[in-house]
Amino acid sequence: MIVETISNTLIVLSLLFMFFGVYGIFRFTDFYSRILISSKVETVGFLTLMAGIMLKNGFGYSTLKIMFICLVVIVTNPLSTHAVARSALVSGYKISKENEG
Amino acid sequence: MSFLDAVLIVVSVYAALVLIRVVIGPTIWDRLLGLNMISSKIIMSIIILSVVTDRSFLLDIALVYSFLGFIGTVLIARFVETRGEI
Repeated sequence: MIVETISNTLIVLSLLFMFFGVYGIFRFTDFYSRILISSKVETVGFLTLMAGIMLKNGFGYSTLKIMFICLVVIVTNPLSTHAVARSALVSGYKISKENEG
Repeated sequence: MSFLDAVLIVVSVYAALVLIRVVIGPTIWDRLLGLNMISSKIIMSIIILSVVTDRSFLLDIALVYSFLGFIGTVLIARFVETRGEI
């Protein structure tokens, strides 16, 4: 019973995190701000959601597989975000004037 | 409607909202960012669906999809960065 409550709380918290990420990519006006907010908040939301689901699932092979997917996402999500930001920087994308400083 | 069904609907709404950024994005990197976020949302949806319907083979599909989304995003970013020469 208490485990169910904790896992539901974690899942609602992860939905809140992901809402901040989705709101941030509309609120900010510059590309680098958008990619900063989205990468961090997305990774935290994913991990919190998976923690809630693993807690709800209990012990077993499914939980082990979800943990392996979490490891893969921890490695690959910042790498792909870094690749996109590096692509923008190398291609010569400049921060617009009103966002400097 | 159980709790996880509602979570699945909310994640789908988030993916649709990110799709707006993909459509109106001023540069190609905004579209790549939206692609990355939608891929992450789809992985979450597949995992929630596998827990709701109690089919554990969907987790393998989620694993493969995470690798494919990573490879696709990195390849398109590198393609844009080197202007057509990978």
